[in-house]
Amino acid sequence: MREPVAEVIGSDSRTLTAQCYDLYRSPQLGALVTVGEPKVFAVVQGIRTEPLDPARPVLARGRDSGSLEEVYRANPQLERLLTTRFDALIVGHESGRLLLQLLPPLPPPIHSFVAACAPNEVERFTDNLDFCRFLLASGPPMADEVVVACLRLAASCRSDGDDFLKRAGQVIAKDAIGDSARVAAILRRVRL
Amino acid sequence: MTSGFFANGSISGGGPPPDPPLGLVVGGSLADGVDIRLNPTGNLLIEDVKVGSFVTIRGQRYLFFGVVTDLALNSSDPRLRHSPPDSEDPVLMAAVSGTMAYGMVSVLPNLALPLGNDGEQRPLAAKTVPTHFSPAYPATDADVAAVFGSEDNQHFWIGTPLDMDTRVCVDLRNLVRRSFGVFGKSGTGKTFLTRLLLVGILQDGETSSLIFDMHSEYGWSGQDSDRDRQVKGLKQLFQSRVSTFTLDEESSRRRGSSPDEVVRIGYCDIEPEDIELLKDNLNLSDVAASAAFNLQQHFGGNWLGEFLRLQAADLGELADGLGVNRAALGALHNRLSRFRRFPFLEDDNRYNTAASIMEQLELGKHVVLEFGRYGRNLSAYILVSNLLSRRIHERYVQLKEAAEGAQGAEPRPLVIVIEEAHRFLSPSIASQTTFANIARELRKYNVTLMVIDQRPGSIDSEVMSQLGTRFTCALDNDRDIDAVLSGAAGSRQLRGVLARLEEKQQALIFGHAVPMPVVIHTREYGTQESYRQLQAGVVPGQVLEPRPGETKKALVEREIDELFS
Repeated sequence: MREPVAEVIGSDSRTLTAQCYDLYRSPQLGALVTVGEPKVFAVVQGIRTEPLDPARPVLARGRDSGSLEEVYRANPQLERLLTTRFDALIVGHESGRLLLQLLPPLPPPIHSFVAACAPNEVERFTDNLDFCRFLLASGPPMADEVVVACLRLAASCRSDGDDFLKRAGQVIAKDAIGDSARVAAILRRVRL
Repeated sequence: MTSGFFANGSISGGGPPPDPPLGLVVGGSLADGVDIRLNPTGNLLIEDVKVGSFVTIRGQRYLFFGVVTDLALNSSDPRLRHSPPDSEDPVLMAAVSGTMAYGMVSVLPNLALPLGNDGEQRPLAAKTVPTHFSPAYPATDADVAAVFGSEDNQHFWIGTPLDMDTRVCVDLRNLVRRSFGVFGKSGTGKTFLTRLLLVGILQDGETSSLIFDMHSEYGWSGQDSDRDRQVKGLKQLFQSRVSTFTLDEESSRRRGSSPDEVVRIGYCDIEPEDIELLKDNLNLSDVAASAAFNLQQHFGGNWLGEFLRLQAADLGELADGLGVNRAALGALHNRLSRFRRFPFLEDDNRYNTAASIMEQLELGKHVVLEFGRYGRNLSAYILVSNLLSRRIHERYVQLKEAAEGAQGAEPRPLVIVIEEAHRFLSPSIASQTTFANIARELRKYNVTLMVIDQRPGSIDSEVMSQLGTRFTCALDNDRDIDAVLSGAAGSRQLRGVLARLEEKQQALIFGHAVPMPVVIHTREYGTQESYRQLQAGVVPGQVLEPRPGETKKALVEREIDELFS
C-alpha cells in the first residue's frame, strides 16, 4: 500500500468519510483510493475543509494580508483548527487475488488507512468499467461530475486513451439508456 | 435432397457457432415475424444485411430458418432524432452506436427443426417463435443448400439467393401438381424465368407442356434485348423432345425455325363461347355476341363458315328469321369477317390440330405453338389458345375418366402455358374460358396452367387463389402486388421484399414448389455454358453444338452418329 494520506472516520456499506493527515492534502475529486487490507476501492466524490470544532466558526483574517500564504503564515494556528475531509463512494474490493467491482461484505473499519492508488493500480482497476454504474447511480448533483473526473484521471493513467474512452462511453450509454444528452455531456467534458 | 437439415451448416453439431451472432431476438410474433436487435459488437453492420436474405435462429428447442423482411433503425432515446450526436466525434459515436441507436432486423421464421434431431428429419413450417434473446446468424451456403435441396430430376436449379452462391432448387413435381404463375412487369425477366422452368419440366420428364408462344420466344429462339443477342429456344436445346407448331409458317422459317406442323383450324371448330370470349377485343355488344348462339342453332356445327359466306344484303332476312337485332347481327358479321384475314382459319375441316397436339403430348413431347405475326393480334391469340385448350381439356377429361374406370392409362400430366393471362382470366370473362376451368378444377384431370402475366391484379381472384406457386419478378403497381401476395402466409412482410426486387433477373418465389419464400437471382440463360448445363442430364434428343462452317445436315448426321455410337 502506498503511503496513507487519510484515515477513515466514518463508513457505511456504500460510502466512507476520511480525514486527511495534512490540511488540503486530499486525493483529487474522482481519484481512486484504496482503504485498509484487504483493499477496498473507493472514488472520491466530495472534498471539504472545515473547522475541527464545529462550535468555533472560521473567521475572515486576511483584510491586511497581501496573499493567501501570508494569511496562513500570520495565523499558524489555522493548521490546527482546520481539517480537510473527503467522502468516497465504495466501488469494489479485493478478494484473494480477485479484484471485484462489488461492494465489500462489511464497510471498512474506522481508522483504516486511506491511500491514493498508483497509476498501475488505476489501470488494472479500470480495465473493467462496471464501477461506472455505482458512480452514475450515486445521484445528482455530483454523480456526473464525479464520473467525468474519474474517467479523466483514469484515462491519464492508461495507454489506450481513445479506446478506453470509447469503451467507457458505451458502458455509460448502456446505463444511461434513454438519456443521450447526459451521455453526450459526460463524454464531452471527459475530453476537455 | 440433402439428408439432414443444416448438416454442413454453421450451426451444425450442437455446439455454438464460431462467429458472433448477427443479433438477438428481442420481440415479435408469429404473425408479424421476430425482431432481432443487431449485435453492436458483431462484424455486421445493418448495411450488410439485406431484405430477402436468410437467417438461422437458434432457439431453446428448435432451430429456425427465416427470411429478412424488413430493416429498421431504432433508438432508445427519441431525442436522438431531434438532436443527433456530433458525427465528427468518434468517441461519442462509438458510445451511442449500438447502445442507444441500433439496428433492428425483422425476420419471418418459416421453418423449424427440433434441436438434437438425428439429422434425417426435415424442417417443418414454423408454428412457434424462438424464445427471447435467441441468437440469430446469417445463413451459410450449407444451410441454404440443406433447405432448398440439391439438383436431381425432381429438383431443378432455378437461381441463387441474394449474395450467395448456393443453388436454390424448385420441386418440379410439387410445382406442376397445381397451377402456377410467373408475374412481373415488362422487362423484368419473366420470359427467361419461364424458359428455365420449362427446361426444368422437360428435364424432369414426368410432365408435358403446351406453350402458347405469343411472341415466338420459347420454340426456336428468343431475343435477349438487354444483351442484344439471340438465345436458344427449347427446340434448339432439346430437339426431339420438343414439337413446334406454328400459325405463321412464313415467320417461323424467316427466324430459322422449321416447324413440325402448321396449324389449321376449321371454322367448324369455333364455338359461340369463343366469340363470347372475344367480345371486348372485337368490340361487340352483349346482344351481338349472343347472336352467335342463335346462329349455331340455325346453321349447326359449321355456323361460322356458313355465316361468313353470307353477303351483307342477306343479313336482314336472317336476323328477322333468328329474331335478333339486325344491327347487332350486322356488327357481328362485320367483326367476324376479320377472321378471313387469318390464313390458319379455313372452311376445310379435315385438319385437326388439337388431335395432332394431343398425339405429341401423349408421346411425352413438349409442344410450342408459335403465333408469329398473329401474336400481335390478341383476338387470334385468345381464339386459338382457348379453342385448342378446350379440345385438349375435353380429351383429358375423357382419358382421366377412362383411367378411373380402369379402361386406360392415366393421362400424362400436362402444363398449359399462357401469356397475357389477364386477357383470359379477368373477372368479367374468367367464368367463360377453358383456362379458368383448368385453373379451378383440372388438377384432378392432370392438367394445370402456367400463367404468365404482367398485370396479375387484373386476373380473377378465384383463379389467383388456385395458383400453388408464384414466381414474381419486380412489380410496381400496388394492385398487382396485392394480387400476387393474396393468400400467402406472411404476405405483409413479403410485400416489403417484393417491392424491393431489382428490375432485372430477380424473383420472389413462394408456394408449394419451395419450402419457404425465397428471393433469387435467376440462373443464367443464354451463354454456351448455360446451354451445356441445361442440356446435361437430358440424354434423349441431346443436340451438339455446330462446328464452324458445319452444315445443318452434317450436324444432324454427327448427332445420329453420337447417338448410336
